[in-house]
Amino acid sequence: MSFPTVVFYVLSAILIFAGLRVITAKNPVHAALYLVLAFFTSAGHWLLLESEFLAISLVLVYVGAVMVLFLFVVMMLDINFEKLREGFWKNAPLAGTVGLIMVGEMVLILMSPEASLGSYKGAAPLAADASNIRELGRLIYTTYLWPFELAAVVLLVGMVAAIALTMRKRKDTKFVNPGDQVVVRRDDRVRLVKMAAVKRSEPVAEAESADQQA
Amino acid sequence: MLTLTHFLVLAAILFAISVLGIFLNRKNVIVLLMAIELMLLAVNFNFIAFSHYLSDTAGQIFVFFILTVAAAESAIGLAILVVLFRNLQTINVEDLGSLKG
Amino acid sequence: MNWADLNLVPVMPEIFLISALSVILLLDLFISDAKRGITYGLSLLTLAGTAALQVYTFEPYAQYTLSNMFVADPLASLVKLAMYGATAMILVYSRQYAADRDMFKGEFFTLALFALFGMNVMVSASHFLSLYMGLELLSLSLYALIALQRDSVPATEAAMKYFVLGALASGLLLYGMSMVYGATGTLEIAAIAKSIHGGSANQLLLVFGLVFLVAGLAFKLGAVPFHMWIPDVYQGSPTAITLMIGAAPKLAAFVFIFRILVQGLDGLTGDWQSMLAIMAVLSMAIGNITAIAQTNLKRMLAYSTISHMGFLLLGLLAGNEQGYSSALFYAVTYVLTTLASFGVIMALSRAGFECDKLEDLKGLNSRNSWYAALMLLTMFSLAGIPPLVGFYAKFAVIKAIVDIGLVKLAVFAVAMSLIGAFYYLRVVKHMYFDEVQDTSPIVVRGDMQLVLSLNALALLVLGVLPERLIEICVEAMKQSLTVL
Repeated sequence: MSFPTVVFYVLSAILIFAGLRVITAKNPVHAALYLVLAFFTSAGHWLLLESEFLAISLVLVYVGAVMVLFLFVVMMLDINFEKLREGFWKNAPLAGTVGLIMVGEMVLILMSPEASLGSYKGAAPLAADASNIRELGRLIYTTYLWPFELAAVVLLVGMVAAIALTMRKRKDTKFVNPGDQVVVRRDDRVRLVKMAAVKRSEPVAEAESADQQA
Repeated sequence: MLTLTHFLVLAAILFAISVLGIFLNRKNVIVLLMAIELMLLAVNFNFIAFSHYLSDTAGQIFVFFILTVAAAESAIGLAILVVLFRNLQTINVEDLGSLKG
Repeated sequence: MNWADLNLVPVMPEIFLISALSVILLLDLFISDAKRGITYGLSLLTLAGTAALQVYTFEPYAQYTLSNMFVADPLASLVKLAMYGATAMILVYSRQYAADRDMFKGEFFTLALFALFGMNVMVSASHFLSLYMGLELLSLSLYALIALQRDSVPATEAAMKYFVLGALASGLLLYGMSMVYGATGTLEIAAIAKSIHGGSANQLLLVFGLVFLVAGLAFKLGAVPFHMWIPDVYQGSPTAITLMIGAAPKLAAFVFIFRILVQGLDGLTGDWQSMLAIMAVLSMAIGNITAIAQTNLKRMLAYSTISHMGFLLLGLLAGNEQGYSSALFYAVTYVLTTLASFGVIMALSRAGFECDKLEDLKGLNSRNSWYAALMLLTMFSLAGIPPLVGFYAKFAVIKAIVDIGLVKLAVFAVAMSLIGAFYYLRVVKHMYFDEVQDTSPIVVRGDMQLVLSLNALALLVLGVLPERLIEICVEAMKQSLTVL
């Protein structure tokens, strides 16, 4: 077996284990971490397939952003996860059988001689200085201009939707607007009161005048 | 020698795991969302494997856009989850009793 | 790609729509809640401007641009104009409804326009990538719109269900697309068709992918056995949003299926025909029979939608120009009828009260005979009673499948429509022959009254004079099929 083949099998074993743990883990935090493992391993597979840019962006976008978001939400919500798993193992034998049959069928189709996947030879290994990023970049900004613009709109929708759904103004908040703070002038806060000088009076009278002022 | 079959079979196994996960975790929405991410990963595997063995970059570009959309999708999914939790104090799909399937 | 060759004229409506949308998004930040009417007016103006550009840039043949990822053909133009009209009507209908339910916010309009933009992209896509991006734009906007009524438990539940099943459907669809890509080596719809006809495609992978594609499409359209989300989402969403899910997206989904199955996988017609036939039969049977048992009006209309989608698939599976154009006619008129039926529900609802039970319609005739008459028209049209337009739509579809020799299927469809007529007529019975239970006055804004009346009367007018619209549909289909 050549070196890439060994790497493929090792990574695949890890990937399948991680995938199974994602869907069976008791604690969603563990599930999220196993999903991170699955993404890391997949990035390794994608390197084997010479798509370096996507491998890197999978780690950056998925592990760095999306999974962190998942972890945030899992930890933010106070959820009784034990209750959510009631009946999990009751369904497991049936679901497992269905899953195995599904895998078996798909593998049979893909490995059957009629699929003739062997006829996909693949390109010769790329030259050492071939740049996957440059090639993708060139295409994205020219041929794939329209989907690129659409991707921008999709992200805008995501932003608008997430903010519209979750942003709330709390009534009891002690939020201070920094803009207001900065533009404040002395006259807004300090009032100079000119008072006529008076003779020192008796303490009782002073207390009385204070009462009147209040 | 690695062939296309290796990668497609791996993707098919991942796909089946994610479908299994969706059926097993019907109560637990957050794991459900993770299973959906796993399904998209399987699809991405297919595209990249075909792209490599067809020596055609279109598949890789498609994956690039799937990654983008999936990020926006999970942001909205989690936002809905948070709103749901605020209303119900649970994310148990079975507790979503007011709608009978 | 050479920038000098970039022809942006066919994309003008989309460019205008998204630019105006961005302006509204920004302006709305500076508008107080009391003046939200400005956003409403601007949204309607945007729709009018987009429609005007659509008419202005119309060409009676297919134009490809943006590296063959965008196509502007008569089919796309016709469907887009219908979608602009539908969205404008939804905005008019839902103004009071949304204001009563704390939903009359800027996001309501911007997300509705984002959804419309997504549908435009879908309808004009000639590449799997733009199809997918358009679909996701539409779906993401709809998920958010459902949950926009944040404190409503049913609405957020419906949003969650719709989200999970929608994401699952996208996954299936993508798996299918990846297999088609592997089998043909391209993602461009015209090139896929060429590759299949040329015999260079990998047949097994193609059929394997087709199964996933059809399952994903059926999920989005809501055909049995992938229909379980429809009743829950229709019932749980605020009615204004139900209408946004149930009206224009059906048209977009129809064109989506047309582009993939008919324009792309034309060489596999035999394979997908049988799959569609099974789904059509099941949809008509389960939709119509389950609808009888419903007591909730929105839920009943949801099951009725499933049965109508069965009819739509029937037209598609005929596999010829006559079938496709009858399905297009069916889709357009179905959207018009749905708008009227949910419009009446919204007119009868008021702050703190949803008119969504069948009993709520009891004695409507004695409360307000005009709304009872409008509802009567829509129910008769949905049931397919002449001379309303629903009859011609069903008639055209059935004629198309009889002409290709599927007489048994046609007889089954007629039988199912007869069963369906039962529950539509039950609504009419409630309105005209039952005692009034709820005597509160019906207050409706003037503009909504006008548009809703025109909407329902259009069903009658189109039913008496359907020729012009049928002609347009046939012409549009002819152009889109000659592209192949």
